[in-house]
Amino acid sequence: MFPAPVPTRLLAAVGLVVSVAACSSAPTAGTPDTFSVWDPYPQFTAESEWVRTIEKCGAEAGVKIQRQAYDTTDLTSKVLLAAQQRTAPHVLVVDNPVVSTLVEAGVLKPNSEAGLDAGQVSPNLVAAGTVDGQTYGVPIGANTLALYYNKAVLAGAGVDPASVKDWESLNAALAKVKAAGKKGITFSAIGTEEGSFQFLPWFWGAGASLTDLPSGRAALELWKSWLDNGYAPNSVVGNTQTTSWQEFATGEYAFAENGTWQLGNAKKAGFEYGVIPIPGRTGGTAPAPTGGEFVTVPVQDNKDTEAKAGRIASCLTAPDKVLAADTALTYISAVPSVQQQQVSAQPELAVWVEAVKNAKGRTGDNLGTRYPRISQPLWGAVQAALTGAKAPEAALRDAQASVK
Amino acid sequence: MTSWRTPVGVLLTAVMLFPVYWMINVSLTPMSDMRKPPSLIPVNPTTEGYERVLREQVPYLGTSLLVAAGTVVLTLVLAAPAAYSLAKLRPAGRRALGFVLLVAQMIPGIIMALGFYGIYVKLGITNTVWGLILADSTIAVPFAVLILTSFMASVPDEVLQAATIDGAGPWRSFVSIVLPASRNGVVTAALFAFLWAWSDFLFAATLDSGGRLQPLTLGIYRYIGNNNQEWNSIMATAVVASVPATVLIVVAQRFVAAGVTSGAVKD
Amino acid sequence: MRSRLAGWAFLVPLVAYLAVCYAYPLFTNVDLSIRGYTVRSFVSGGAPLVGFANYATVFGDPTFRTALLNTVLFTVISLFFQYTIGLAAALFFARGFRLSATLRALFLVPWLLPLIVSASTWAWLLNSESGLVNAALKVVGLGPVNWLTSPEWSLVSVTIANIWIGIPFNLVVLYSGLQNISRDVYEASALDGASGWQTFWHVTFPLLRPVSAITLLLGLVYTLKVFDVIWIMTKGGPSGSSTTLATWSYELGFGNVLPRFGPSAAVGNVLILIAVVAGLLYIRVQRRQELS
Repeated sequence: MFPAPVPTRLLAAVGLVVSVAACSSAPTAGTPDTFSVWDPYPQFTAESEWVRTIEKCGAEAGVKIQRQAYDTTDLTSKVLLAAQQRTAPHVLVVDNPVVSTLVEAGVLKPNSEAGLDAGQVSPNLVAAGTVDGQTYGVPIGANTLALYYNKAVLAGAGVDPASVKDWESLNAALAKVKAAGKKGITFSAIGTEEGSFQFLPWFWGAGASLTDLPSGRAALELWKSWLDNGYAPNSVVGNTQTTSWQEFATGEYAFAENGTWQLGNAKKAGFEYGVIPIPGRTGGTAPAPTGGEFVTVPVQDNKDTEAKAGRIASCLTAPDKVLAADTALTYISAVPSVQQQQVSAQPELAVWVEAVKNAKGRTGDNLGTRYPRISQPLWGAVQAALTGAKAPEAALRDAQASVK
Repeated sequence: MTSWRTPVGVLLTAVMLFPVYWMINVSLTPMSDMRKPPSLIPVNPTTEGYERVLREQVPYLGTSLLVAAGTVVLTLVLAAPAAYSLAKLRPAGRRALGFVLLVAQMIPGIIMALGFYGIYVKLGITNTVWGLILADSTIAVPFAVLILTSFMASVPDEVLQAATIDGAGPWRSFVSIVLPASRNGVVTAALFAFLWAWSDFLFAATLDSGGRLQPLTLGIYRYIGNNNQEWNSIMATAVVASVPATVLIVVAQRFVAAGVTSGAVKD
Repeated sequence: MRSRLAGWAFLVPLVAYLAVCYAYPLFTNVDLSIRGYTVRSFVSGGAPLVGFANYATVFGDPTFRTALLNTVLFTVISLFFQYTIGLAAALFFARGFRLSATLRALFLVPWLLPLIVSASTWAWLLNSESGLVNAALKVVGLGPVNWLTSPEWSLVSVTIANIWIGIPFNLVVLYSGLQNISRDVYEASALDGASGWQTFWHVTFPLLRPVSAITLLLGLVYTLKVFDVIWIMTKGGPSGSSTTLATWSYELGFGNVLPRFGPSAAVGNVLILIAVVAGLLYIRVQRRQELS
């Protein structure tokens, strides 16, 4: 018989594993000679310009670089776990709304201590990385949303794109397009952060504030009316931004709400396109949310390591280096002087530079980690209203009630 | 007599595999046509996706094979003796163990992955192929034990008693009687261990995303960017990934079929 | 005495393996669910014990009832169709015929595909604007159905996709089970003049019961856990209409910029509990069978 011994032995075995693990995790003193850089760009291979830039910056700091690319949705949990095991990367490139969460977790070094400087960057873009007066990291570039339009479809419906100045004129344009037998507009209202990202230009364009969701009622009613009138397809409820783009790429749609990153695909679409800013409710350009990543320096056990990591991060965001990365990502630079270079090289970027200037960080207004708590009920309300489960006003009121 | 079964079988298989066909269809469709009204065959086929995949992904195939084969071996080595014990030697506490196996399978994959990550980082074995094999085996081992137990249970006790009288110890009974008699179960367990390891993404992404040797499922993530997914390349990767595995399974199934009939003759 | 020792000797590798590979994740999941983790304490430690507060949060959330109901519907309907279709196919293939081995192998192809691909393909087929299913409905004169984007249909759609994914598993296991039934039994039944249906109902089905039970039990465990298929196709939406406990757990822990580890782990543990209950039921049934 094997009464007691087996469990005891098992416990001993487990204990052994745990204690071995504990011993080997003792922090190593001194500065390593290889620095790790994590980014959310798995599309860039070892031969890409981006990876070469990282290696160049490592060489300038006198260290070797080990770069790892993760899917962007995995990166947050990966960094939290690594920080828990005290193996956070030395330099981290991370999506801007995540920065405040990582600051809250105590994972990131403020710029003042890491030797980073975001002084050259437009203030509206730095906002996402600013928590309690301290800035964490430097944006590598920015993207945002605007309206792509199909020239042939608009011409066929007798719509002049320049006439779209506010919601009323946009609705009039959509009605003409529908009357001409084409499809109106496609966007993404999926039940994830992407859905909130796409809804925000309309929400902010209605003059609403994220601290008072029912104030954005007009925006949600606008979207709902598009579905009810057949201006927008029902598939928007499940569309990601890619799916929505594919719909626009069929050439059947007049407008698509989509981002800077689609410019490369737009050229391949096989029809003439143009871009206009998203109009505010009563005119002007609506503030669209900023997208794009921050280059940050996570906390290490050693000050020298952090300083060296700071040098690599500064190098990655230096104006002469960042242009290549922004070009590869089709981002707009966060630095006004580099934006000028981009526009003179590619005049069609002018409208995007304008859009980025008007853009707003989602976690700005000192919302920080309150933003995710608001964003989730918000996309829920959008879905509830668009599927007809709730009236727009009630949906937003319920959403506000569930924000804690 | 059996002639009607072949056409019906072909028809059923065609229905079952229709979504797979659709995947192939999408892999050949250019971006601008993807959301057009659907057509049963790609109208303007593009091989863009395949060109990229063949250029970029082929080295990953070998890793996937290695990981899947390693998982099969590890799974069977752990599960077969245990199943034999549970089914035939019936030690005390076997019900509790069966129960633990069931609960073990219920731990969400993501929690398993996080647990492994914590341990692997401490031991410094992230980004290794055998670390991935060990993790992948956790999907298959509980299943293999349970399924092998139910197969081995159907080996008649009389046969084993006869062997014991002839002086065979438990090990010899296991190797020369129970294991061959439950070959179908062994092949089933091996097949699923292979398939799970082959298509695993979660463990690979968590434990091996910085490794030199990466499985094919991670290759797909090259085509899923922050805001953009290149569907023809994604689908092309899946097609390329499933071809060698399909061939392997078809061959294995023929082998199984042969084994089954010869086993039946022996009975 | 000796055989008991031998019995445990054969089990030692497995038990050690279970302890090393599963104990820590299981411990983590329980620990996460009874502490008030924030992102800060997740990284630096020192989260306070909060007992059942996370469970209270979860049970008090209106999503819980929807998710539980959806989980039950999703699981029961998936299991029923996966099993019946899988068994029908296994019986069909059990009589060898030309190409049968090859066709049976091809049935497994859905299992080879990464879930992100198979689930996306289903989402493609069921898309309300450009999906093939709606195009086919139009051909036969029916209006389009918003398969994935209406609260009435989303759960049906993900269930259909999940049934498709689960058929190969049932087919393979049940087919192997059929092969293990001795030919003599069928011959005896045929000699008694039993019809095909009678043979199936009175001979095949009862003999297949142990394999059926384990297939259904494993199917239950796997189906309870399914999250990728639903997550990829609908994200649990629109507005929660296809949320199950598994997707909800994922959504709480990883579907948002700010993870809520505690409630996420609590939902995960509720799922584990459901599986435990199913396991207990199985063991009771098994014991009764052994006794009879």
